[in-house]
Amino acid sequence: MLESLRAALPSIGSILTSLLGCFVAVAVLRGGVDVAIDAFLAMCWGAFGDFPKFFDGGASAVLLRPLGESATKAALLTLTGLSVAVAFRVGLFNIGAQGQLIVGALAAAVVGAAVELPSPLHVTLCLLASATAGALYALGPALLKRYRGVHEVISTIMLNWVALMLVENWLVTGPLRAVTTGDNSIAGTAQIHESAELPRLAGEVSRLNAGILLAIAAAIVLWLWLSRFVGGFEWRAIGATPAAAQASGMNVGRSFISAMLVSGALAGLGGAVLILGTEQRYPATIGAPYGFDGIAMALIGNGHPLGVLASSLLFGGLRAGGTRMQLFGVHKSFPELIQGLALLLVAARLVWMKLSNRLLPPKGGA
Amino acid sequence: MKEAIACGVAPAVKSKTREIDSARVRAGDRFDMTIALRHISKRFGTQVALDDVSLELERGERVALVGENGAGKSSLMNVLYGLYAADAGDVAIDGAPIRIRTPADALTRGIGMVHQHFTLVGTLSVAENVVLGKEPTRFGTFDLPRAVSEVQATCRRFGFDLDPRARVDTLTVGSQQKVEIVKALHRGVSTLILDEPTAVLTPQEADELFAVTRKLSDEGLTVVLISHKLREVLTFATRIAVMRRGKKVAEVKPSESTPESLAELMVGTRTPPPAPPQAMPGELVVTLEQLSAGPLRDVSLDVRAGEILGIAGVDGNGQRELAEVLTGLRSVDAGVLRVAGRTGSLTPRIAREIGVAHIPEDRLKHAVVTDFTVGENVSLGRHRHAPFANGARIDFAGRLDRTRTLMESHDVRPREPQLRLGALSGGNQQKLVVGRELDANPKLLVAVQPTRGLDLAAVDAVRSRLLDFRAKGGAVVLVSLDLEEVLALADRVVVLYEGKVSGAFMRAQFDERLIGKCMLGVRDA
Amino acid sequence: MLLALLDSVLDAAPALVFAAIGATLSERAGVVNVGVEGMMRAGAFGAAAASILMPTPLGVLVGVAAGALVAALHAWLCIHGRSDQVVSGMAINLVMLALGQFLLEAAFSSPAGTPPIEQLPKWLGHSPLTWLAIVLPFVVHFAVTRTPWGLRLRAVGEKPQAVAAMGVRVTRLRFGAVVLSGALAGLGGAQLSTAVLDRFENHMPAGLGFMAVAAMVFGRWTPLGAAGAALFFAFGNALRISLSSSAPGLLEVIPQGVLLALPYALTLVVLALQKPGASRAPAALGQAYDPELR
Repeated sequence: MLESLRAALPSIGSILTSLLGCFVAVAVLRGGVDVAIDAFLAMCWGAFGDFPKFFDGGASAVLLRPLGESATKAALLTLTGLSVAVAFRVGLFNIGAQGQLIVGALAAAVVGAAVELPSPLHVTLCLLASATAGALYALGPALLKRYRGVHEVISTIMLNWVALMLVENWLVTGPLRAVTTGDNSIAGTAQIHESAELPRLAGEVSRLNAGILLAIAAAIVLWLWLSRFVGGFEWRAIGATPAAAQASGMNVGRSFISAMLVSGALAGLGGAVLILGTEQRYPATIGAPYGFDGIAMALIGNGHPLGVLASSLLFGGLRAGGTRMQLFGVHKSFPELIQGLALLLVAARLVWMKLSNRLLPPKGGA
Repeated sequence: MKEAIACGVAPAVKSKTREIDSARVRAGDRFDMTIALRHISKRFGTQVALDDVSLELERGERVALVGENGAGKSSLMNVLYGLYAADAGDVAIDGAPIRIRTPADALTRGIGMVHQHFTLVGTLSVAENVVLGKEPTRFGTFDLPRAVSEVQATCRRFGFDLDPRARVDTLTVGSQQKVEIVKALHRGVSTLILDEPTAVLTPQEADELFAVTRKLSDEGLTVVLISHKLREVLTFATRIAVMRRGKKVAEVKPSESTPESLAELMVGTRTPPPAPPQAMPGELVVTLEQLSAGPLRDVSLDVRAGEILGIAGVDGNGQRELAEVLTGLRSVDAGVLRVAGRTGSLTPRIAREIGVAHIPEDRLKHAVVTDFTVGENVSLGRHRHAPFANGARIDFAGRLDRTRTLMESHDVRPREPQLRLGALSGGNQQKLVVGRELDANPKLLVAVQPTRGLDLAAVDAVRSRLLDFRAKGGAVVLVSLDLEEVLALADRVVVLYEGKVSGAFMRAQFDERLIGKCMLGVRDA
Repeated sequence: MLLALLDSVLDAAPALVFAAIGATLSERAGVVNVGVEGMMRAGAFGAAAASILMPTPLGVLVGVAAGALVAALHAWLCIHGRSDQVVSGMAINLVMLALGQFLLEAAFSSPAGTPPIEQLPKWLGHSPLTWLAIVLPFVVHFAVTRTPWGLRLRAVGEKPQAVAAMGVRVTRLRFGAVVLSGALAGLGGAQLSTAVLDRFENHMPAGLGFMAVAAMVFGRWTPLGAAGAALFFAFGNALRISLSSSAPGLLEVIPQGVLLALPYALTLVVLALQKPGASRAPAALGQAYDPELR
């Protein structure tokens, strides 16, 4: 208990500090603490449900709609966050979640539009296609690392741009572009069939879809794998001390590859959730740096699958609520600023270690 | 010491050299003094490294700091050199307290240090390494030709045989050691600290080093020698300070001391491990025939059950690679490898399965995961098998049980299987590693520097475990850079030089000088 | 056509050259810098925003200072906070991405970009920064190979203990190199918003920072190599743009996206083809220096 609190302290402290910092920033820039309070409250209602309206006799939609938005955003953050976190656990820094997400999204869009099948089968097929595409795209850096000693940070950065350029500047605007019928403003791939869409969980009231269930399931499976299974134990040992793991008979190179495959598959699934749940086709550009958000979630979540889930739920919520801050003259990307600052603060590891050693003195130490 | 080889210094530079030398002499006068370390204390986390230590250094003295590993010798000198900040106490020159917070402060006070682990940049030349931090300039640019000639001059003046233009990573270990000393002398230091300078040198290279240093000290250089090799200390030093567990326990004169009396001061009331009884070798466990792997060339040797084979050699002559071959970390290029009845290259996993245990040199890198619990560490290597696993799942109860037993039988403290391993002291970590490796009932134990950096009690514990294992019929390959340790424990010794076997000795034939010659590759053994 | 091509290289390359040299300096000192993108963004925004209030050349200096300031944060996190250097760099990228949007909205009430500013004057048809970008690689090369500072820089990236033992402060040396790196990245960003365009736009620098990192790796961590690679990438890009207008048929054979992906793919190919262990990356790259490490 004490140990998990100690592990979570940097993250919690960083989130609170950055929230406070951003609150002050809004108060200063928008002229007043009361404006800042209003803006932050609006963000909260937008994130976790409009409770004041609900108690004023509103329908349950005022709760469900924001929660649906939050969950949709959280699902994506969780999957990319887990992608980065699982690579972290074997000691690899997968900066390439963005590229893997892009190819996964494209795979989902293509499979979703190309065939028509009974819904559960079609969704499963799309998810499989995305996971495979993402996994294969992550295989390259893993092989380069193992056989050529190329650092994965460099190779995944390169592959991000290769994916972006090839998909968004060629495939989506060229060979895979939807056949335009009269209205030529449509960019991106063809609309996916309805059978490929992720099932809605709350009907038409909210955009809440099964993506969040997938994300939660992935987090739990990964957590069990890392904590209860010998294979997960090996991954953690390799990540912490690769030479000792190797000397203990573990196959480090093979674990690099299998963990990177899982990492890429998770990022690919993130792409699938984006397409099958929200976009319904690969748009002209997916725009946001989802893969980089994954790095933030992995680190703020301290590399722990449940920590990643928790921080994704929080920041997914803040992002959904962030839209409402525009009423107060704050750009809707404000939660991303909070998230970035929290990541920056989490990064100051030594500071937090000193602080947590003071607040929660470590046991033992002969 | 040979004269420096053709330095080819131009006459113009020669006169400049003379200027530099006279400047050094003047500077030396300024440093004519007594340096006193007063009541120094230093802790690392919860570990006390230095406890109220005082030491005075007179000009021109050769002071030896002796003590077992971890006694605080290096820590004390790192404080003097500004690398460690003391928690309490101060440094004074001629009675006036001074502040030494960085190596730069130490260097301006004329204090230089040669570290046990070299601080050389391999990709730079000798001259660049030597002048680093005080580079000669010309119109603000780095004047490499002048750096070369200055370093040449320093080499010649002090009788070092080095090519200033050579890239450091092309030099032998002995030459790199010389570069380290030239670095300090080039700065015109009046006090030179040598931290275990002979650890990686052959006896012959060590003799050469001491001859040069003695000459320098006769010219007024104060020398501090950190060592735990008593014989070299007794012949070299003018005064000996003995440290034990972070305290200075005695100061003696070499003329009034013997290796035995010093050892007693160093280890306190400890009884030294008994001389190993005659081994009763059994069946062959390891056979190498004309084996080549990496730097190893045509190595043939064998190890039998119930004996300890010591591998001696200067650092970097293939000992490490030999251990890697035996533990499956390195594959065989040519020749025959037969371990426990199995022929051919091993992988770490196969090696474990056929009964090879491994105590690696760098525990933190190769043997344990400090962020894991003690229990998780105990399972490393056998984590796929009972009692640590149940199919693909971890058997938490079985692991806890086995860990408790092991901590009990090997006296690992504190007895908390759930504690993070990093919270244990180094000695307890090593006892755990030894216990874990022997717990698997191996046929062969490959131990590389198994007692390096441990406290005395732990050294004894580890050594007696090795001897116990041998007595029960286990085969041990002991690789150590510490010749004394090899000679104390081994039944036979094989010396490696440049990847080849340069000598083999039975216990009855052990002769330090002869083994030293083999270590140096002088083949008249 | 060749002259037009040269013209567009001279306009487009400087930002990449500055940033690539900046990345090289930081990494030669042993500090990984994948935050170049964020530092360029800071420089681009700072220069454009400041140029509204003051003459553009002064605005460029503000951009340089903004890049340096962000780099100082990176340096502090990596050197004093002993953060993972890749994490810190990526965090900086994310913060700068969001901060740029936030400040655009807060200060200019426009999510797309700042109002237009006066561009830098042109000397011989190009901005002074273009001419600086031609000279600077040689200046930095000289500084790295022929000055005491350069010697120390090369040493500290290989073996910080060696530098410390000779009485040079490792932290200060590294801090300086990282700040200088950020200043150069900031200058690159400023070139985008004051010379290439006449305003800061929200998409800036659109991945140029990552391309600068690629150029650094491609150029084997040397100033001249990095600048050469940057020039090569810029040339490829200019060629692509010029072909797309002069020979549209070609783009049907080789699509734009493939050409755009080429610099990154080429860097990967070069890395994949080199012998394992032949990397020229500084030996101590990415490792925090702990003087009391035992």
